[in-house]
Amino acid sequence: MDQQLNWKEKLGAKIPAELGREIDIFEQQMELRKAGKIDEKVFAETRLRRGIYGQRYDNGQRHDGKRVQRLPFNADLVKGPDTFWDAPGMVRIKIPFGGVTPEQFETLADLSEEYSDGVTHVTTRQDFQFHYVHIDDTPALMRRLAAVGITTQEACGNVVRNVTACPLAGICHEETFDTTPYAKATAKFLMGHPDTQDFGRKVKIAFSGCEQNPCGLVTMHDMGAIAKTRVVDGKKVRGFAFYVGGGLGSVPYKAKLFDEFLPEEELLPTMQAISRVFARLGEKRNRARARIKFLIAQLGVAEFKKLVAEERQKLADDPRWTDFLKSVNDPTEEALKAGISLNGHQRPEGFDAWYKTNVYKQRQAGYVAATVSLPLGDASSDQLRALADIARRFVKDTLRTTVEQNILFRWVSEADLPEFYLAIKAIGLGAADAATIVDVTSCPGTDTCKLGIASSRGLARELRQRLGEKSLQLDEAVKNLRIKVSGCFNSCGQHHIADIGFYGISRNIKGFAVPHFQVVLGGKFHDNAGEYGVPIGAVPSKRIPEAVSTITEFYMRQRQKDERFQDFIARIGKKAVKDLLEDLTKIPTHDVDRSFYSDWGDPREFTLADMGVGECAGEVVSQAEFTLAASERELFEAQLLLDAGHSQHAVKAAYASMVRAAQGLVKDQNPMISENDEQIIAEFTQRFYDTQLFWDKYAGGKFAEYLFKAKEFVGAGKTADADRAVQLLQEAQLFIDAAHDCHNKVRGGIASAPAIAPTLQPGA
Amino acid sequence: MELQKLNVKFFVEQPDKIALTDFIDVFHSWIQATDGVYHDVADYSHMQAGPGVVLVANSANVSIDESGARRGLLFSQKAPLTGSNQEKIRAVLGAALDNCRMLEAEPALKGKLRFAANEALLSVNDRLVGENSQQSFDALKGDVEAVARQLFGGANVSVERNADSHRQLNVHMRSSAAMDTAQALRNLTVHSPIGGALT
Ligand code: SF4
Repeated sequence: MDQQLNWKEKLGAKIPAELGREIDIFEQQMELRKAGKIDEKVFAETRLRRGIYGQRYDNGQRHDGKRVQRLPFNADLVKGPDTFWDAPGMVRIKIPFGGVTPEQFETLADLSEEYSDGVTHVTTRQDFQFHYVHIDDTPALMRRLAAVGITTQEACGNVVRNVTACPLAGICHEETFDTTPYAKATAKFLMGHPDTQDFGRKVKIAFSGCEQNPCGLVTMHDMGAIAKTRVVDGKKVRGFAFYVGGGLGSVPYKAKLFDEFLPEEELLPTMQAISRVFARLGEKRNRARARIKFLIAQLGVAEFKKLVAEERQKLADDPRWTDFLKSVNDPTEEALKAGISLNGHQRPEGFDAWYKTNVYKQRQAGYVAATVSLPLGDASSDQLRALADIARRFVKDTLRTTVEQNILFRWVSEADLPEFYLAIKAIGLGAADAATIVDVTSCPGTDTCKLGIASSRGLARELRQRLGEKSLQLDEAVKNLRIKVSGCFNSCGQHHIADIGFYGISRNIKGFAVPHFQVVLGGKFHDNAGEYGVPIGAVPSKRIPEAVSTITEFYMRQRQKDERFQDFIARIGKKAVKDLLEDLTKIPTHDVDRSFYSDWGDPREFTLADMGVGECAGEVVSQAEFTLAASERELFEAQLLLDAGHSQHAVKAAYASMVRAAQGLVKDQNPMISENDEQIIAEFTQRFYDTQLFWDKYAGGKFAEYLFKAKEFVGAGKTADADRAVQLLQEAQLFIDAAHDCHNKVRGGIASAPAIAPTLQPGA
Repeated sequence: MELQKLNVKFFVEQPDKIALTDFIDVFHSWIQATDGVYHDVADYSHMQAGPGVVLVANSANVSIDESGARRGLLFSQKAPLTGSNQEKIRAVLGAALDNCRMLEAEPALKGKLRFAANEALLSVNDRLVGENSQQSFDALKGDVEAVARQLFGGANVSVERNADSHRQLNVHMRSSAAMDTAQALRNLTVHSPIGGALT
């Protein structure tokens, strides 16, 4: 039996060293947090950067419809401000460009069963999410993901989030070229990059293979790249129309054109330079205005471009900028079977309707991409395993998640489609509704999100069911509309770019809170999220299905020949639609019909009492604080080495931890400080020792001298016996404690740092 | 093998009598009737053969589960169990049956819900404790048989495994004699150390 092993031992070398090291670090940080050695705010951002998110009720309170119940979590241990350690949480799993394999499906299925509630959820940004996960399970969960090549690193927090791309990249008829290798290289290059660690908010990046189609949704991203080619000296070269400063959120911004043709070799350095400018000048305190879009709005695109160009000039060459270009023309995927057309093959019942909505003919003859619609983006562990089996029967590792919360099977031989359809139908995933009004997209809303106001998933479930029942009777124009629902104005459900969008709000009616949705009409999913919808008015949640019928019937009656929904809404005007919905805004009083006073799928009396503080924005933690936390962890590692009898290694590690703490202090004044210990200590001495900023009221400069002594000891190559090692580790702890005190003093304004010009290190 | 994270499922007789979504209200009423025991209700009624409706707590989840296209009450133990393996299995079976009994007696369901207590599916929800192999099954079988004989009152007992290696280690126990949940609970006679937390 294996039971004496843990997952780290069991998986061993299957975990890539780099990812394994990252997970070890996180596990140590968990231990330090438990020991009270990492501040809760720093730990919160630390876990967010590993995709470990909070979840509704993790503040230990839940309104049961009658009263607030206290959930009995251990009150002595928190994993962030007002967030109990034992409270179930969410884990977000990054899937760059949505590329997944059957083996990964199987692992996700196992993990969802063992650590979550048996459901793997596809998000609106091609990630996966688990809910109800205990934080103590996360290192094992991460290791098992790492063993199949997946990381949760930087899935949340103020960093570069999952890099998304068209799920049809590489097989699409209209694309200029396959953006997959570029999305992949971007994700790899920017993850953990020193220049992307000090943002005030998250950064989202998307790639699109063409301008006109929606898959990439480029213009709603902080950075977006649309594939382009140009002829230079008679040769066709690749590049991108490059956009910056888009974003949804409460106030949606369309991205601005940064460069109409950014050559492919300039893609990564430009993103790096933008990251530097954003880290340097972006808002850090007011998170509501901290996305790149606000910085660009403040500076103007021209000034922003100028700053980026200046920053670009300063960057030292990095081979990673172009190494990947050598293989961008290599095929990234292959088919399992020969591409044979469907002609003459028998079609099972329901197949034709499904084919019409869920199948895309690839540009490679005989092959199709088939969408498996996941209701609300959810797949059970049984379904995921079955999908892995189906994938192995029909394709290779050519699966992708989509921003519409579905799974795309690419490279299916068209002749196999009837068999494929029967296989997915048998597991309840044969719905003929992809990219139709039935395939409603939704964020988690009040089901699990701390910021949720109304039940977006409850509404989406209800709409799916009602629209699904009459889908065959729906006119084609209505069937092609898209509905997207967010639980609040933060728009994770992407309601701004839906034909018919909703976001959750609350209204008070005669002293009772009533769940409502704001109706947002006329957004454009097409043209890379080409238009944002306009808010029309608030409708009680329980009246929304009627509102959808009213709007779509009105559209059918009043529509001019072939008029698109967006044009229709623009023509008839906001007021006409508002008038149309007026009757629906009225509801019976509480004593007549209580059902309006609770939300979809939730019988509790509606309340906002369960809303917490969201973690979408992450915690703004300075680089100094992160570096100080890292020094604690390094000292912890030194202790482990000492315990294992490796005194010499322990001393070196302890010295490194002191240098790290010194670097943390210096970082506040010189973010570009190098990794070289001589330079760090020189700057520390100049800025903190000579100025006496680091001095203790009673001990004077003693703690700093521990660092100088340790440097001398290690530099001289002296051998440490166990006693000397113990002593040096104790001194390291005192130095790190003093560094924290010093940081608090400076940050708290008790002492101010003298103005010393930063020393830019070569290549920094 | 030291068992932990055990799941037990008892199957519903005549599942069509009650809509899956009816259990949402029932579970919310259970939350209101207790204090801080449960965290949440998760609604997966939109999924085919999925986890159904889940009542989430720290020590264990209780769900009306539809996996395998068979509706049943799934009790998923999360908090560590103590005792011998047989005691652990008995404890989880007892807790699951307690919850079945509570649901059968639930006024909102108007007596329409009955569980067949002569069949239960036990699984080990931790692949580190045991993979779904013949070797693990052999290691577990004796303990399960002993408890199953007790559960089913000494009636003819069969235990078998779904051998799909991707699944959790599982044992399907059955008796040919029909039995209700009250009888099964009496047979077990051992009080679950965790049942109290969820009933
Ligand atoms: S839109 Fe609001 S409710 Fe939905 S996930 Fe985002 S923050 Fe939460």
